Amino acid sequence: MIPVSVKWQKELFKDVEIDTTQPPYVFKCQLYDLTGVPPERQKIMVKGGLLKDDADWSTLGVKEGQKLMMMGTADEIIKSPEKGTVFVEDLPEEEQVVAVGHTAGLFNLGNTCYMNSTLQCLHSVPELKSALIQYSHSGRNNDVDQSSHLLTVATRDLFNELDKSVKPVAPMQFWMLLRKKYPQFGQLHNGVFMQQDAEECWTQLLYTLSQSLRSNGSSENADAVKALFGIELISRIHCQESNEESSETESVYSLKCHISQEVNHLHEGIKHGLKSELEKASPALGRSAIYLKESRINALPRYLTVQFVRFFWKRESNQKAKILRKVDYPLELDVYDFCSDDLRKKLEAPRKLLRDEEGKKLGLKGSEKSSVQKDNDEKMADAEGSSNGGGEPSVAPMEEGEKAAEMTGIYDLVAVLTHKGRSADSGHYVGWVKQENGKWIEFDDDNPKPRIEDDITRLSGGGDWHMAYIIMYKARVVSV
Amino acid sequence: MAPDPNRTAAGGGSGSGTSTANDEVVNKKKVENEDLSDEDLALKQQLELYVERVQDSDPALQKVALESMRQEIRTSTSSMTSVPKPLKFLRPHYGTLKAYYETMAESDLKKYLADILSVLALTMSAEGERESLKYRLLGSEGDIGSWGHEYVRNLAGEIAQEYAKRQSEEAPIDDLMELVQQIVAFHMKHNAEPEAVDLLMEVEDLDMLVDHVDKTSFKRTCLYLTSSAKYLPGPDDMLVLDIAYMTYQKFEEYPNALQIALFLDNLQYVRQVFTSCKDPQRRKQFCYILARHGITFELDDELVPEEDEKEILQEIINNTKLSEGYLTLARDIEVMEPKSPEDIYKAHLLDGRASAGASVDSARQNLAATFVNAFVNAGFGQDKLMTVPSDSSSSGSSGNWLFKNKEHGKTSAAASLGMILLWDVDSGLAQIDKYFHSNDNHVIAGALLGVGIVNCGIKNDCDPAMALLGDYTDKEDSSIRIGAIMGLGIAYAGSQNEQLRCKLAPILNDAKASLDVIAFTAISLGLIYVGSCNEEVAQAIIFALMDRSESELGEPLTRLLPLGLGLLYLGKQESVEATAEVSKTFNEKIRKYCDMTLLSCAYAGTGNVLKVQNLLGHCSQHLDKGETHQGPAVLGIAMVAMAEELGLEMAIRSLEHLLQYGEQNIRRAVPLALGLLCISNPKVNVMDTLSRLSHDTDLEVAMAAVISLGLIGAGTNNARIAGMLRNLSSYYYKDTSLLFCVRIAQGLVHLGKGLLTLNPYHSDRFLLSPTALAGLITMLHACLDMKAIVLGKYHYVLYFLVLAMQPRMLLTVDEDLRPLSVPVRVGQAVDVVGQAGRPKTITGFQTHSTPVLLAAGDRAELATEKYLPLSPILEGFVILKENPDYREE
Repeated sequence: MIPVSVKWQKELFKDVEIDTTQPPYVFKCQLYDLTGVPPERQKIMVKGGLLKDDADWSTLGVKEGQKLMMMGTADEIIKSPEKGTVFVEDLPEEEQVVAVGHTAGLFNLGNTCYMNSTLQCLHSVPELKSALIQYSHSGRNNDVDQSSHLLTVATRDLFNELDKSVKPVAPMQFWMLLRKKYPQFGQLHNGVFMQQDAEECWTQLLYTLSQSLRSNGSSENADAVKALFGIELISRIHCQESNEESSETESVYSLKCHISQEVNHLHEGIKHGLKSELEKASPALGRSAIYLKESRINALPRYLTVQFVRFFWKRESNQKAKILRKVDYPLELDVYDFCSDDLRKKLEAPRKLLRDEEGKKLGLKGSEKSSVQKDNDEKMADAEGSSNGGGEPSVAPMEEGEKAAEMTGIYDLVAVLTHKGRSADSGHYVGWVKQENGKWIEFDDDNPKPRIEDDITRLSGGGDWHMAYIIMYKARVVSV
Repeated sequence: MAPDPNRTAAGGGSGSGTSTANDEVVNKKKVENEDLSDEDLALKQQLELYVERVQDSDPALQKVALESMRQEIRTSTSSMTSVPKPLKFLRPHYGTLKAYYETMAESDLKKYLADILSVLALTMSAEGERESLKYRLLGSEGDIGSWGHEYVRNLAGEIAQEYAKRQSEEAPIDDLMELVQQIVAFHMKHNAEPEAVDLLMEVEDLDMLVDHVDKTSFKRTCLYLTSSAKYLPGPDDMLVLDIAYMTYQKFEEYPNALQIALFLDNLQYVRQVFTSCKDPQRRKQFCYILARHGITFELDDELVPEEDEKEILQEIINNTKLSEGYLTLARDIEVMEPKSPEDIYKAHLLDGRASAGASVDSARQNLAATFVNAFVNAGFGQDKLMTVPSDSSSSGSSGNWLFKNKEHGKTSAAASLGMILLWDVDSGLAQIDKYFHSNDNHVIAGALLGVGIVNCGIKNDCDPAMALLGDYTDKEDSSIRIGAIMGLGIAYAGSQNEQLRCKLAPILNDAKASLDVIAFTAISLGLIYVGSCNEEVAQAIIFALMDRSESELGEPLTRLLPLGLGLLYLGKQESVEATAEVSKTFNEKIRKYCDMTLLSCAYAGTGNVLKVQNLLGHCSQHLDKGETHQGPAVLGIAMVAMAEELGLEMAIRSLEHLLQYGEQNIRRAVPLALGLLCISNPKVNVMDTLSRLSHDTDLEVAMAAVISLGLIGAGTNNARIAGMLRNLSSYYYKDTSLLFCVRIAQGLVHLGKGLLTLNPYHSDRFLLSPTALAGLITMLHACLDMKAIVLGKYHYVLYFLVLAMQPRMLLTVDEDLRPLSVPVRVGQAVDVVGQAGRPKTITGFQTHSTPVLLAAGDRAELATEKYLPLSPILEGFVILKENPDYREE
């Protein structure tokens, strides 16, 4: 019998007796009683290594009072989880997109930034995407010419590709078909394609899509593009000289924000743009007279597009010159002021509902007054999320969706197309798009960069930095 | 303060009362003396009179004249603000007197004149004539100091020249040495220790110094000796330190003596310190110094006969209480709360520019988080990923985090537990234990490595690391083997453990072992035998290198083999030469690489300017064959030059040049070299350079710069570097490799929540811990090929840094080794070498109470008289004893 002391973790067991006639396993069982560590998990350090179960005590030279150290725990042995962790690095490319948090960029094919930025902005409209998905390759209607059909298909494929890849995409097919359909985009200058006006591209593309998607056959969504972007205007035309008055309705795809000396804010610009003077033959006077045309919005779109009329034809320099004036625009736009009386009445109830909802949220978070700004941001994201939920699945249930979700006349900024440079046919176009997670991404051709909201509001012009040219708002809706 | 030479001279003149004698001469010379004042004129005439009288035939008159002249000169040479008037006026007569001297017969008077000529020669003899010395030797050998300091200084200079001349002619020097004796005695008495030391160095007789130092002067003398040693060529530097050691021993300043013994790496001296000091408290302090230096030192009965005391002392040397002290510091500063990687990244400060909240785990990012978590919580025993107690889930969250790492990532994850529980062997082993039973080889490898890390710098009687890891070095699976081998290397670094050599050396020549196993074995052997010049280990590594095939020599990991060899000679200078010769026979592919590595290791920490130039020369070549030896050469510059401040600054500037003119492989190594030069010492200029390089177009330069930003800021919590890295993390959010480097650097900056340092220098930047340096350069050499090693599957080389990790603290303990809080002043250290009196050693200080953190370049001093520290350098653990003379006010 040799008494030794055993150190285990921070404890010290004194006078543990070793029966040298028995194998070390017996000693381990003794320690099991003391520590609760099963013998097979005990590691006892003796001279020259670990104590083996079948070792001979006499060869180990254990001295009386020697301090032995034991390692081992009764802890559960860690097991690898049944379901292994999935790593981004292992994922196929399309799934990595989710992790990256934004979709891919588009390569510049030679002065095609106007097209890339337009595509990125339109790509951010999920409803348009789903409408395109339904568009079948073979389902061409006779009303639509072949090139429009092919362009629509190309758009669909390109949007698909953007969603699936992490690396930038080269929009070759689309670019070729766009030129085919609209030869003006194929203009060459010194052997390279010329820079074009993004607004022209935007309008033409939407027009084409509206043509081909309308004739899709299914009657319920007669004109998907129109339902998404169309703004119904009711105009009162008034002649001051003769006091004649008439009214007419029209549907446009975008509001114009006219920029003049007194315009500092989007609101003023739109107001300006809704009023116009025109000269036409007055039946009463029997000659042409100046008529005042005042338009009001009669029906709101899901996506409200506003174009800043920054370019005008400058004869002396023979190019589209740019107005650099700073025009602020809000992240949250209320168009109530521009609505017709009928529409206003319709909007009353949903707006009240929205206010109540917001009030409730504020009330809940009242304690965090300091972070109200943040809360608002979150709410915006929330509201957006809910509206996405309503409208996203496809265009088809949109009708029902609209029944449940009412327009409020309040819009949130979702995309900005900016231009940098001094004329429409030069400089650089870039798309700034809000992602579903509420983050902003600047799509500068093949290089998407994350941005913050402050960066977006800084695009209002007044310098040589990027300035907003076309902006797109998304309607905030409440479910009734 | 200085007496006006004019007035004293005039006084002397009037005393002799013979001013009216030579009116004619006065008239003659009046024209040229017009600008002189009356007093000066009188003095001038007086002196001219003496000169004439000296040449008189009457010996009595001669004597009087000589005496008077002597008087005039003595009274005026006490100050040296300008050329003393008497010397000035005697200038035209120097030649006359010299000529007359030659004609004089041998007599006392002749000696007297020789004395005066010797003084006059101070200003008048031609350069290189050494007439002052000549006449001094011919003179009357009176008190040398009576002629003033300047005379002595001049004499000393001439002695040095004369000595060199006589040495070359092999002429006797006895008369010179006698004079040296006098001069040294004079200097030592008059607070001019540096001059005395300089003279003795010139005449190569420093031993004389020991007889002349006394209680008041020995400290300054030794300080001057130790700091000048850095600039002396070998073997003079060793001699100088030897003298310093003996002086400290003589005046019982044992801690200093011990430090010099450690600097000389002379264990005999270390033992001598132990045997000459019997005070148990002081011995404990010695043990703390030994422990900080990280050498393995076994006390025996001869040194400490008493068993109980020996046990206590050995425990201190074995660093068993390091963890406790560190945690005391952490609790005092209130940083015990574990930090998660997110707390370090501080992504919320980045305006949401950082990568959008990833819903899927990225193996790369999780691995980075593992390292960050390990570095930040190093030694605290708790964290938010690995040690979280398993609660709801079956396998516990620690298991969960482990499995959030991929394949070899799990090795680093399991090993990170060792880092978190650093130095705490008891609980560390208990917590790592469960991973030994895993069925995943990567996890077992990590557990083995973790055991090694926990035991880093700690020695335990039971040798748990050896017992646990020993059996795994010969396993089939190479990842397990590497884990065990690297673990042993870290745990037993510097121990020169024979048993381990027998275990590891055969692996090097094992034909079945894969290259990575062999590479890590070489490094581990290098670490265990660091700076030992061990022949057998060197042979084993050399054979392993010779056995490599052509293709294997091109592998990135092969670089660890020469490095392992180099570590054996770390800081051993010439001892490397035999091995360097052998390395010349290696395959061409590795020859130069090996040469550079050996050279840089052997002269690491010596500040040898010639070697720096040699290495710079290698870097100036423009290679076109894709050779890789310039990388280690650049690192070598840093390793050699890091020894002292001046050389360090010069090296930083040289590296800037390399950056501009060097090839890409040099540019990649430059940031790493800068990182080593300023390790844990974020100098602003280096920080700016690295910040610039972190945006370099060459990604590998950028990666190295980012890692180095982490190294220079290691353990400082430097806000500027933290900000830079945060911005880099958003700049490189898409580049996973660079982002990984940024994360590692962020972890390093917050190393041990800012309580640790990686600086291998300690004790007022005097001593260099060889194991710490070895760990650093191993990691840096691995970083020379970032892509293949750190970003590949050998990222655990980052754990080599653990060898250099030390708390940057001052912890004062009482005589029972319990923490004792006292007020201390902490401020920027001031260089007081060669300054007279008792100058302030710190500036811009603040008063804290211990334990306190010490930043790079900081020095502490006690702010109370109540206690006396047992070590003159207040760093690490310092024992305080009560001051018997202290009176409460």
